[in-house]
Amino acid sequence: MKKPFKNIETIFNKSLNSIETFIQSHPKVNFLFGAVFEAADGLIRSTKDTAKNPPFIRSSMDVKQYMGGILAALFFGWVVPAIYFYGFMCVVPKLIVSFVVGVFIVDVIWVILAREERINEGGFVTCLFIPAFLPPQAPLWLIGVGAGVSILFRNILGGVGHNLVNPALFGRLMLTICFPTMVVSGWQEPFTGIPTIESLMYGVDAVTHATPLIVFKETGEVTSYLSLLFGAGTGSLGETCRIALIITGIWLCKKRIANWRIPVAYLGSVFIFSAIFSLTAGKTVAPPIFQLLSGGLIFGAFFMATDPITTTYSQTGKWIFGIGCGLITVVIRNFTPIPEGIMYAILLMNLLSVPIQSIILKMKYRV
Amino acid sequence: MIEKKKNKNAYKKGLNLLEVYPTKFSESVVFVKYDGPVDNFSFPFPDKKVEHIIVNLCPTEPWAIPNKVILRNETPDFLNKLETVRAKYFPDSHCHVVVNYQETGLVNEFNQYKASANRNSSFAKGEFLHLHTMEPVYPYDAPVLIVKNILGLNIGFDQNTIDHGILILDTQTITGIFEHYIQKTEFNTRLISISGTGLNENKILKVKPGTPVERILEPHVKAGIKYRVFLDGPLNGTEVEDLTQKIDWFVKNIVVLEERDYKTPFPYLRVNELLFTTSLMGELRRCVYCNFCDDICPVNLEPALYWHCYIRGEKHKARLYGLEKCIECGLCSFICPSKLELLQVIRECKSLK
Repeated sequence: MKKPFKNIETIFNKSLNSIETFIQSHPKVNFLFGAVFEAADGLIRSTKDTAKNPPFIRSSMDVKQYMGGILAALFFGWVVPAIYFYGFMCVVPKLIVSFVVGVFIVDVIWVILAREERINEGGFVTCLFIPAFLPPQAPLWLIGVGAGVSILFRNILGGVGHNLVNPALFGRLMLTICFPTMVVSGWQEPFTGIPTIESLMYGVDAVTHATPLIVFKETGEVTSYLSLLFGAGTGSLGETCRIALIITGIWLCKKRIANWRIPVAYLGSVFIFSAIFSLTAGKTVAPPIFQLLSGGLIFGAFFMATDPITTTYSQTGKWIFGIGCGLITVVIRNFTPIPEGIMYAILLMNLLSVPIQSIILKMKYRV
Repeated sequence: MIEKKKNKNAYKKGLNLLEVYPTKFSESVVFVKYDGPVDNFSFPFPDKKVEHIIVNLCPTEPWAIPNKVILRNETPDFLNKLETVRAKYFPDSHCHVVVNYQETGLVNEFNQYKASANRNSSFAKGEFLHLHTMEPVYPYDAPVLIVKNILGLNIGFDQNTIDHGILILDTQTITGIFEHYIQKTEFNTRLISISGTGLNENKILKVKPGTPVERILEPHVKAGIKYRVFLDGPLNGTEVEDLTQKIDWFVKNIVVLEERDYKTPFPYLRVNELLFTTSLMGELRRCVYCNFCDDICPVNLEPALYWHCYIRGEKHKARLYGLEKCIECGLCSFICPSKLELLQVIRECKSLK
């Protein structure tokens, strides 16, 4: 069993090597397809770089595994539950459109036109976020536009290592500005109206229902916590099954890919601030546990706020970042007409993380 | 249970390298014959008065010689030698022996020796002998950290421990001083461990200092592979560019690593093959704020800050963030998932006066 596999592998390796030498010896081919080949090759084979400076051994963890961990967590955190709740045809076409437009069109064209960064796996993470925070009935073109805008924005900033704000959330902000009704309507109830191929073109004729947060804002009614936790409520495609998100989020924290300080600070501060506000301001403020379990808070806290480069570097700064996110979320949810504030909170704190970082450094090293 | 403990210990404030790269040495000690010119043993006795002698019996690096090979179940004998050396050359100094806390046998032997020394002799020689236990976590045996943990003194990385009256000795040097200066016998061999992925077998060799590296490694290196040779470990040791270089009295071990300068298909399925080679195991990227480096840093620094300064072109600003505390253990570069050359950056920033 092992031997034929080994032979195939050697042939495969040799052919990849010959393609590589061919591309590198022809500058025009290299100009067009060099980056694409490098990206594909990077997914299959290790690099040939060796350590030139001490230390001469390195740990096996690299950014690819790091991003792969996030991808795996997102897959089991929202893709699998969403397929279960809304049907295969509701989720998979959206993912395909998101990946094709985001990674295979915008990213590839960008790399060919402005080839400085190589294509990297961060684009997959961004594209996996896009369908997750749009309603289940969002049309496919909306997903495509969102993915395109996000990846374009991400590439303009410079990709992983340069991002100022979370590119996926920036894409959603653009969608909210351009197509406000589409982003905040079409909340389909789970298990109803599983779409078929025909319905992809014309939309699903399914029952829609306002999200728990909108319901609370309009009538003051609190949805049952169990249905919120296990995903029977309405909401964006990826945010409803909170139990799966919590489990995968904790796995990410355990693997040290997501820093545990951010989710703890974020969720804790949402709980504390909403408790304080509901005690002082009365019934207009939703109860703390309802706030924790509704909207995209769990998804945002574990997956969006922990996006590595957009927070502060300092660990203390990460606490402040999380607490700031929590405060803004509670304020937007309860004292403004907008029902959900995760996106604004995280985007604003992403921008604020730059001054937070420099203040923390000054206090730590120069006082 | 063991798995759990591994995760707990492995990546927080230093790294338990013994668990990450378990290295087994073959039992027998092989003597390397060499007829060329040989260095004679000499020990540079310090001019200053020595108040504390620290003897490290707790190797934290897997490629270091295991204790049992050096002591050969003759711990009381070794402690007698230590006592003689102390009484003759460093009177009134305190001896601190550092032992791995897991080696209960060694701890017991030590305690028995101390008790019998107190009982037998008229003068209390046990009074000058102190036992310390330590976790075998790299780089806790670095001079700065070992002095801080045992004596509670803060010394800088660039300072010599002798200036503070502290002498750090290894076991073989003590045996050397005892045999060469006190017993006046011929002492011209030294135990050196060789290990690594470039070798057929990890061995412990008895070598005459003065032997070229080439000659030591010749019978043991795997055939048909590229390899690189490092003295005193790949983490903070030096690379041997010229294999005719001769072994001196300060070399503790030689590590031979396979040089993987070609691409390996499906690296995630065969991590073990790439582990403990010189491969970078990933692409060079930008810092992603993963906080791995400041979690692992044994002296509570934030190494990525220096890289941020460096990449902005502001090397001089790195000094603002406690750069002088760095003990150059190299763990930040080791752990970095973006494969940044943090140790190199730190050294460059340090050299800027």
